[in-house]
Amino acid sequence: MKETFENCIRCTICVENCPVFKVNPEYPGPKQAGPDAERFRLDGIETVDKWITHCTQCKRCDFACPYGVDPSKLILNAQIRYVSKHKKTIPQLLFSNFHYIARLGSFFSIITNIITSLGIIRKLFKLIGLRSDIPFPQFRFKTLQRFRKKSVKTPEYLSNNNQLKKRKVAFFHGCYLNSNAPDEGRMIIAILEHFNITVAIPNQVCCGLPALGNGDLVKAKGFAKKNSKEFAKYIEQGWDIIYSCTSCGHTLIYDYPEILDTKEGELISQNTWNLYEYLLMLKDNGELNFNFTALDKVISYHIPCHLRGRGVPYPAVIIFKEIPNLKMNIQDIDCCGFSGSYGFKEKNKETTDTLGRIAVESLEECKPDIIISDCGACRMQISNFTETQIIDPIQVIFDALEL
Amino acid sequence: MKYDIAVIGSGMSGLMASIYLAEQGLNTAIVSRGDPICSVSSGCIDIAGTGKKTLDSINNFPEEHPYNKVGEKGISYSIQYFLNIMKEEGYDYTGNFEKNRNILTPIGKHRVTSLVPFPMKHADIGKDEAFHIISFKDIKDFFPSYIRGVFPDTSISVFNAGTHTTMGIAAKMDNKDFLSTFITWIKSQKIKQNKIGIPAVLGITKTYEIIKKLEIETGKFFFEIPTLPPSIPGIRLYRSLKSIAEKKGVSFYGSAEITDFKKEKDRIINITIKKPGRPDYVNADAFILATGSFVSGGLFLDKNIFKETVFNLPVYSPVEKEVFNQDFFKLGHPIEKSGILIDNNFNATESAYSNLFIAGSILANSETMKYQCGHGMAIATGIAAAKSAKEYLK
Repeated sequence: MKETFENCIRCTICVENCPVFKVNPEYPGPKQAGPDAERFRLDGIETVDKWITHCTQCKRCDFACPYGVDPSKLILNAQIRYVSKHKKTIPQLLFSNFHYIARLGSFFSIITNIITSLGIIRKLFKLIGLRSDIPFPQFRFKTLQRFRKKSVKTPEYLSNNNQLKKRKVAFFHGCYLNSNAPDEGRMIIAILEHFNITVAIPNQVCCGLPALGNGDLVKAKGFAKKNSKEFAKYIEQGWDIIYSCTSCGHTLIYDYPEILDTKEGELISQNTWNLYEYLLMLKDNGELNFNFTALDKVISYHIPCHLRGRGVPYPAVIIFKEIPNLKMNIQDIDCCGFSGSYGFKEKNKETTDTLGRIAVESLEECKPDIIISDCGACRMQISNFTETQIIDPIQVIFDALEL
Repeated sequence: MKYDIAVIGSGMSGLMASIYLAEQGLNTAIVSRGDPICSVSSGCIDIAGTGKKTLDSINNFPEEHPYNKVGEKGISYSIQYFLNIMKEEGYDYTGNFEKNRNILTPIGKHRVTSLVPFPMKHADIGKDEAFHIISFKDIKDFFPSYIRGVFPDTSISVFNAGTHTTMGIAAKMDNKDFLSTFITWIKSQKIKQNKIGIPAVLGITKTYEIIKKLEIETGKFFFEIPTLPPSIPGIRLYRSLKSIAEKKGVSFYGSAEITDFKKEKDRIINITIKKPGRPDYVNADAFILATGSFVSGGLFLDKNIFKETVFNLPVYSPVEKEVFNQDFFKLGHPIEKSGILIDNNFNATESAYSNLFIAGSILANSETMKYQCGHGMAIATGIAAAKSAKEYLK
């Protein structure tokens, strides 16, 4: 049983799971954009037009398909071909290079944060196809990379000192945690060290997903190659890779060995762990105990699509079950509609906002004290529709550990 | 991870089995390759046959039919269990499993079924009954003129929802402002009849509130007419059951292709799920196989050799050769009898695994199309296999 798109029996289950199809009548859904159109593409007929860029690459169709077809991969390839044949839009160029923007943005954070909130610049945003009505993420000067140089030792240093713990992890933080949310990154490091794990922050660039999502395969491959080479060194010395950003994680595990096709891709894919999956594994092995203190809170957990796509029981949820008094509501039916750079583009505004409203409404049904989500982009989107505090799950664990 | 029970398959039988087991306090996981066929179904629960009384039909089923392994008491218990959990979830089903009823289909013909979701409560249209149809501008695959062909007195009005798919319209219905506009428009139509039929788009999540509001504000009775997939009542059925399972603590492994399993003497110890990255291993003391028949991928036919796709169990089939003969599309083709034979404990008869229980349409001799017993048999055998598995674990 070779798993190809020819296995598609047109059952429409993927379409039932597509957030964009639900709210945007211009998008024909993953069945037609994926396997149906692929049959024409095999004959060399390019059946793609601008509508192909309506797909957010949330991967819900891949996850839902009972026949092993991955419509999102077919669509991604068509998107890349479409973009390569047309002049790139400014937002596409910008977000393909988000890595550099984030690095520059952080370095000049005081200036960039002022500039991106200026009315005139916001108008310029709109002119080039970016949304001017939602806040641009704020950059932080003290990035995780800068933080590392002071407090977290490099592996070279650690290898020469007998300070290595039994468990050693190399942290793939990605752009958002590095430049926009370094406090959460520091909490992750503190928690790992609390559990007696050695943490290193290797030199790293963007995982490549924004470039991939904006049709720049060459750039994405460049990023992937750099990261693979660096992280493979750690794996070979017995380190594990952990990630917290679910989209970076999905890219490392699913795309590095496949579409981004790096030499060390398979090695990276096999040895990369979701932060909470890793903690659970250690707990199962009897290597750690959480010993949480009680938290009297009602939490609504927005599951990012790319965590859902891992296809394992949500690891943070299993950990949260050990926190006394915590009440939890899980929301994984509705995508928030943001999808990273997708949500910043003016052309996607209606799709993004309609989905965001639906998701937030269902998140707030249980009247939560706080909303949590692993994904920085999801959090940004949700905060546009609610006054409820929204945080990274790591902060809840941090509080329950009383660190 | 280690569980008491792993259920393979997230269709009707797998979900029912896992809900029952989790409620009994067992640590339960569902391992599934993708969303099930019930999410594209009409959402109605067929019990048996097309006659007035379902139990009369079941009494006439051949002895080897899986219903006979469950027994009348078992069927009654499991269906009542299904009705109770759905009521608790707020997506009520109407009907008595001992009786059949009619619902109106988009081509104007009746379809016989037994239990219907509450939006189809009034869908049993009498021969001379007057009703009105509301359709939507440009909606795909719904032609009210088919219905008027059978019921000539039917009047039709068409609403412009600004989108043309059932998913799109249903999502809009969940929005209060859209619903208000829709209700105002209905009032302006001055509909005379008391009953209004509408394609099944009355909300994805807020159906109860929507129908209540429609009935209070217009004073009419509304009934949904099932559509081609995307089928909203099918989505509601699947998502309700999945949500019940999640609330009872069932763990879900999705997009999970099982590539291997480990056995020890007569027991299955674990299954391997292969996907990019590290494989996942699901360990359990007992397993329930509910992977469905050919369409769902539980059975596979390769050059006249029948295979069970997870554990390579022996498959019974009366078909010897020439499966794709000219009678292939006729009801009652012997291929429909293919499947796994079971004993009274729901263990596969010719397999050596004592901790593996079988449920749903993968069972041999179920012939769900011919006997019109699909969802009903899935529910009954799902619960029955779960009970056997629970007994085994004691």
